[in-house]
Amino acid sequence: MPSKDKVPSAITSSDQKLVLSSLEPEQLAGLKKHLIPRRHLSGLEKFVMWSLRIYLLFMIVVVIYQVWASLH
Amino acid sequence: MNLGPPSRITPQPAPPDDVVITHEDVDRAHDRVRVSAARAQRGAFSKFRLLWLLVGPGILVMLGENDGPSMISYAATGARFGIGFFIPFVILTFCMAIVVQEMTMRLGSATHRGHAELIFDRFGPFWGWFSMIDLGIGNFLTLITEFIAIRAGLGFFGVPPWAAVGSALVFLCLAVMMHRYWTWERTLLAIAVFNLVFVPVALLTHPNWHSVGSALVTWKPLPGGLTQDTLIIVLADIGATVTPWMLFFQQSATVDKGLTRNDIHLGRIDTVVGAALAATAAVATIIATAPLFAHHMTAENFQGAEFAQALQPLIGRFGAALFAIGIVEAGMVASVTISISSAYAFGEVARRPHSLNLPVAQGKAFYSVLFLCAATAGAIVLIPGLPLVYVVLLVNVVAVLAMPPALVFLFMLANDREVMGDLVSPRWANILATGVVVFLTLAGLLFGISVIAPNVFAFLGGK
Repeated sequence: MPSKDKVPSAITSSDQKLVLSSLEPEQLAGLKKHLIPRRHLSGLEKFVMWSLRIYLLFMIVVVIYQVWASLH
Repeated sequence: MNLGPPSRITPQPAPPDDVVITHEDVDRAHDRVRVSAARAQRGAFSKFRLLWLLVGPGILVMLGENDGPSMISYAATGARFGIGFFIPFVILTFCMAIVVQEMTMRLGSATHRGHAELIFDRFGPFWGWFSMIDLGIGNFLTLITEFIAIRAGLGFFGVPPWAAVGSALVFLCLAVMMHRYWTWERTLLAIAVFNLVFVPVALLTHPNWHSVGSALVTWKPLPGGLTQDTLIIVLADIGATVTPWMLFFQQSATVDKGLTRNDIHLGRIDTVVGAALAATAAVATIIATAPLFAHHMTAENFQGAEFAQALQPLIGRFGAALFAIGIVEAGMVASVTISISSAYAFGEVARRPHSLNLPVAQGKAFYSVLFLCAATAGAIVLIPGLPLVYVVLLVNVVAVLAMPPALVFLFMLANDREVMGDLVSPRWANILATGVVVFLTLAGLLFGISVIAPNVFAFLGGK
């Protein structure tokens, strides 16, 4: 198990070679800061997402009502 | 550099000179070297070793979801309904979990991105924050119930609540302070297997195997028919198997472990094995508490450990102690996985380092969120007078209600050819996933109707 007290500069050239030869580029932590472009949402997709959002909010109100009713 | 099949929108690799290599990368690379070595060799032993190296996230997420509230829900199910409808029903819910969790494993392996990160990037912050609020509230409520289970389970052995919560927090610290994903995963796997302690408890009750077999085939009996109480148990049992945190956890753990497209087949095996183990423990719990139904005892006033106390005259002190240990183990493992799920999501959204391979100095935000969530939930459990079993069942119900919106994000991402390339969901997976969304939505709506118009069940033959 590698030491965890090392600072980033302690990474050796053999570590670098190991990482670059065994990980896919997209697996590198440094490259994950790159944002993936946003997708376009179709009308149907927006409708489904809004419908389920309203469903969830409505059901939460139902749950709160049930809790209130059972406490009284 | 091992490029692998490209997806369409991922960045081109930077030249090695420009790449900042971190300790997280080095640790993951060591793990991948072992996987490559096992894959390069032939023979049954090498294949088994490859499987051994790659299993983890699937088993952990399934056994992690067999958490405190889930086991108490299964126990309440057995005590209230005995052996019957709910045994095949619980197996069905685990089949649904396989369909859903396979997609998260495939997404993580194909994109190397966590679930929260992908939602924010692909759908934007508006939908991303909705998703995060659902996850944050759900995870926090569930964490509270994990500590309830730990407190109740240790209470059977006379441990005071403050000591039970304190020991759970110490366990959490020890579990994540290994600073190495591999070590953490193996340690937690070893502990999670104790979830199967419910199997010997079930055997101690000398179950009627003919009734079990008959229930599996006929889905009967369902004592009392369809009532609001039955529906709450139905929803609690679904919520005991498929919940939003599982989506976030398995995808992030898949990424942290470093699975790639080449590992997807074994990732599926990992998920199915996890579901089989968890279903075994769940069914065993229902069978274990079924004698409480046969002896006309009710579960309504039982809290975690009281199930163990109620079972003691039937299965002895040893069996009851095993049951209580099982409840504690379920809560302990889940408190770790759920806290980590929250911390992963926070790190992905805040673009802060988020990996169990991180030293504390480099992952302060990640570890702080993890401990803060757990400590706050633990403190709440110490408030006297909480209606524990009611809270536990309610949390599972809320988890079911939050699933359909979460599943739609997952469904759209798994079918997003721009991020998944040729790994988009096949037609059969989409049909199954759509079925799961429709089933969960209808179950939620039925619950809503039962609350607003309880008399409607009289027309359906219930009470």
